[in-house]
This record gives sequence, structure tokens and C-alpha cells, in this order.
Amino acid sequence: MTPDLEQLYDEHAQALFAFVLNVTRDESDTRDILQEVFIKLARQPHHLADVRDARGFLLRLGHNAAIDLMRRRGTRDRNHDQLATDSAGAFARSPDPDTQSFRQALDFALGGLPAEQRAVVHLKLWEGLTFEAIAEALEIPLNTAASRYRYGLDKLRERLRPLYEEIK
Amino acid sequence: MKPDDFEQNLRRQPFREVPSDWRASILQTARAAGNDPASATLAMPGVADSGPSAKTNVWSLGWREWLWPCPQAWAGLAAIWLFIAGLNLTTPAQPTMAQQRPRAVGENEPTLAEQRRELARLLDATLTEPKTAPKPPPGPRSEVPAIAPAKA
Repeated sequence: MTPDLEQLYDEHAQALFAFVLNVTRDESDTRDILQEVFIKLARQPHHLADVRDARGFLLRLGHNAAIDLMRRRGTRDRNHDQLATDSAGAFARSPDPDTQSFRQALDFALGGLPAEQRAVVHLKLWEGLTFEAIAEALEIPLNTAASRYRYGLDKLRERLRPLYEEIK
Repeated sequence: MKPDDFEQNLRRQPFREVPSDWRASILQTARAAGNDPASATLAMPGVADSGPSAKTNVWSLGWREWLWPCPQAWAGLAAIWLFIAGLNLTTPAQPTMAQQRPRAVGENEPTLAEQRRELARLLDATLTEPKTAPKPPPGPRSEVPAIAPAKA
């Protein structure tokens, strides 16, 4: 059965885009990965046949592609994370200066996290997945998912506390 | 675990929208790839732009995906293999024990007939050998005739 690519795109592309952008911190890479994911779906439609959670499956495909991409560039872009923090930003712009300032700081703080912590934090906060679902999507143990989230959130809290207290 | 205010606040921050012009191009490329695996390979990020044939590209992609997780390890293994192969080619061949020509049965060994002839010869020699002088009866050493010392 051929999957309805249009429907899949309309339902999941935004979530996939946000997740992959947060992991890679690069819009061009994000586009390549989205393209790769949808090509895989088109070429191997049977993969979706037994999938209960299409969103989780797509996030896993996106994560694997992002990790592969970062490994390929491992030696070339050793400081990819630091470079990525200078990108256009992953969050939507806000007309409110305080909110915009907070989003920029959040973007910067996220860029300072290791990619594996960033992925877990993203799936927990912005996808609302349980640790079980995160562990399954990222193919890591449950305890690892929980600890990565705790460490990542603690770092974000530490880095954003002054600004957060100010605008709260 | 109940999320605190900080987590709730983070959750409220929306991400950018996916660029609207991506949809058409991504879906078009994906559909083309689904209909034509060769073009899919060409469209995959990180794959060579063009090649001698689509089949070659598919093979290239397969090998790349298989080797990619640890390219240094594979390169090291290949280098070691080449070194050993070179060493094997440059070193003169030395016969091993297993390669040595097996000794033929009976080679350097007397045959049964020869052994019999030898036995018969010895027996004949024994029978025809002159009797040696009988041992002197036991007695005092002083009565035994002196033996001349052998000349050096």
C-alpha cells in the first residue's frame, strides 16, 4: 500500500521540521533530512504498514538521518553545535521584545546542549512524548532518556533563570 | 513527574513554521524517487551527484551505509590486510613440514629381505667365529698373567 505522502507531510512535517532543526541547528540540513525521510517513505512504503505511531516513526527516521549526517560531518564540522547557535533561530519571532529576547536566549541555550540531550528535551517538551516513547523513538534505554532530560533541563534552567525570573 | 512553571513556559514557545515552498519540492522528489529507485538514489542527500549508472549508485549507497559507522576501523583493517598480503608476496616461500615430500615407504630403510640376509650373515659369522680363550679360573689377582699395556 502506497502511503499518502501529502497527508503524512501535512500532519507531521511541522513536528519533524522543528525536531530536526533543533537537533541539527541548520535549516539546510533540516531540509535535506526531511527530503530523505520522505524519499524513504516513498521507496519503502511497507515500513509504515506495521507502525502504530506514525509520528514516532517519522521522528525516529529524522533522528537517525540527523545523527548520520552529523557523523558524516564529524571531522569537518567538529564545532557544529557552536556554529549552529549563530543560525537564524529555531523559534518563531514574537512581537513582544521580552518574549523575543527569551526565545533567542532559549535558542542559544538549546544550542549549547549536547545533541542527544537536545533531542530528548525537544521530544519531551515540544512533542509531549513519554519517556517510554522517547526511548523507543531514539532507541535508547528508558533511564537514559530520563537522565538526559533531567540534565538538559537543569542546564536550560541554569542558563535561562535570570531572564526567566525577569520576564515572569 | 509534574512539569513546573519553567517547563510549561518552555512548552509555550513555538518553533518556526516549516517553509511553505518545501512541500511541493519535497513531495515531488519523493514521488519521483518512489516511482524510480534510480532517481531516488540520485536525490538522496550525501550521495554522489552522478555516476556511470543507477545500479552503480545503488551499490555505492549500500556500501557507504554499511561502511560509514566506522570508516577509520575499516580503513585500518584494509591497511593491515594489504600489509599482510604484501608481506606474503615479498617473502620467499619456505616449505613447511606438511609441504615436504613424504618419505617413501622403505626409503632409507632396509627391506625385509635385506634384514634377513644381514641376520643370516651375522649368524654365520657367529657360528664360524673362532672360540675365544676360556676365562681363567677365579683366583688371586696376583696369579693372573699380566696383560701388556696397549701402546698409545
